[in-house]
Amino acid sequence: MKRQIPLIIVIGLGFIFVAHTFIPSRTSQDFYDWWVSWSKAISPFAVVLGILSLFMVHGTKIQRKAPNWQYSVVTLLAVFVTAFVGFVWGTDEGTPFLWLFKNVQMPMSATMFSLLAFYIASAAYKAFRAKSPQATVLLVAAFIVMLGQVPLGAAISRWIPEASQWILNVPNLAAKRGIATGVGLGATATSLKILLGIERTYLGSD
Amino acid sequence: MTFWEKIQNIDRRWIYMIVALCIIVPLLIPFNSKTYVTEPTVNLYKKIDSFSDKEDKAILLSFSHDASTMAELFPMEVSILRHCFERNIKVFLICFSPPSAPLMAYALNVAKEDYPDLESGVDYCNFGYKPYGLFLPIVLGMGDDVGEAVDTDADGRKVKNLEIMKGIRNYDDLNLIIDFAASAAVFSWITYARVRFGANVAAGVTAVMAADNYPYLQSGQLVGMLAGLKGAAEYEKLVDVFAAYEDEQYSDGRNFSQEVIKNTWVPIMKKTISYTSGETNVQTDVELPYKFKQARIGMNAQSIAHIMIIVFIIIGNIGYFLSRKNKNEV
Repeated sequence: MKRQIPLIIVIGLGFIFVAHTFIPSRTSQDFYDWWVSWSKAISPFAVVLGILSLFMVHGTKIQRKAPNWQYSVVTLLAVFVTAFVGFVWGTDEGTPFLWLFKNVQMPMSATMFSLLAFYIASAAYKAFRAKSPQATVLLVAAFIVMLGQVPLGAAISRWIPEASQWILNVPNLAAKRGIATGVGLGATATSLKILLGIERTYLGSD
Repeated sequence: MTFWEKIQNIDRRWIYMIVALCIIVPLLIPFNSKTYVTEPTVNLYKKIDSFSDKEDKAILLSFSHDASTMAELFPMEVSILRHCFERNIKVFLICFSPPSAPLMAYALNVAKEDYPDLESGVDYCNFGYKPYGLFLPIVLGMGDDVGEAVDTDADGRKVKNLEIMKGIRNYDDLNLIIDFAASAAVFSWITYARVRFGANVAAGVTAVMAADNYPYLQSGQLVGMLAGLKGAAEYEKLVDVFAAYEDEQYSDGRNFSQEVIKNTWVPIMKKTISYTSGETNVQTDVELPYKFKQARIGMNAQSIAHIMIIVFIIIGNIGYFLSRKNKNEV
């Protein structure tokens, strides 16, 4: 029963929603809207689950004094403080919550993302080598696209931004379409396997 | 060990230091650089501009990113809002993730500072944060009735009762959706709003995500796209040259012209700037605050960084080939 009931729910609802897509009637649409409205109930449960999971993982780390447990203290403190100021003073302009967001969250997130520039530059220097014809094509394409993205490229020649656009519009597009078609076919095959009960790994190993 | 071998094994920290200098110095000491506009940016500009002064047309800005990608996306959000405010276009804002809500309010506040006559609920409306669980009901619901689907705005007011809703019912009127994202979020708008209801969809994305969107641009499912900081810089220039342009002849902005944009040079590093159009040699003075040229200043740093990476690759490859040659000779 533990495996059969979820399987029946998935297969039954799966076929119902596939049928909905091909039935352009008001009843079908109303049923779909009614069903989708249930999704509102999922979000609050997900939040509760997320917070519980966070406290369990970091609480255990602190209790056991696991390596780098101090970071867990910072994480839990951040959760408490942010939630506290949000509940007490609200989240509008001029509140401590927004001050925290603008002066802590925003610069920290931007810093983490900007580290990419350092890694890319280092990787380009250490690993981007014309070792084979394929790597050389990649290298030349990267040169043109990088130059085409900045004013210097156009200053050297109007041909560079145009070549950069061509690379994005033709070879890049062809590759992207190929990947998208592959992903689409793969998703269809997997969905069919789930609908027919062949693919059951989502049920877990029990 | 030869010079080239030494340089092959250079400590990464030296590279990091050069990167930091190449990015920080142009930001601290900005300079004038030319911005060339591309077709996806122009198409989006023209689409938004076509809504000017129309009571029964509006655009929806969807914020789907967090603070980490603000450097690229925030300037484009401010530029588009500035365009809407300059051209008297109704604009709505919405987000489905909690970290996007303060960013959305921040972009709106920064853009509207220069337009004291604008009124919330009349000229613009911030729908605020809606839980992601409501994404589908809202996106699909707006195809029938925007007021019903969204229900209340960020201030808790009934959307249906707001003055801005006069003439706005569904995607026939709320006819352009622009999604600002560092992810594939825009595909959901294409799937549900574009395919199902025929709404126009555009994207403002980080540079790394731009390549993914080209198939949708080519198919026409995206009417335009701003790609990374470059797209933001292009849009800033378009707004300067057309929507926010003022002189004796054009007291309230001017219409887009491919010829004008091709020949216009906007030096950003003067408090009072001049526009020089190739054909008419028109000159005008416009105050340009930092917030309306931040993408172009950022592009200075990006330009230097790109050149630096190209130089790194060239040096790395010269070293690689010389080292290989030496090994073969030995």
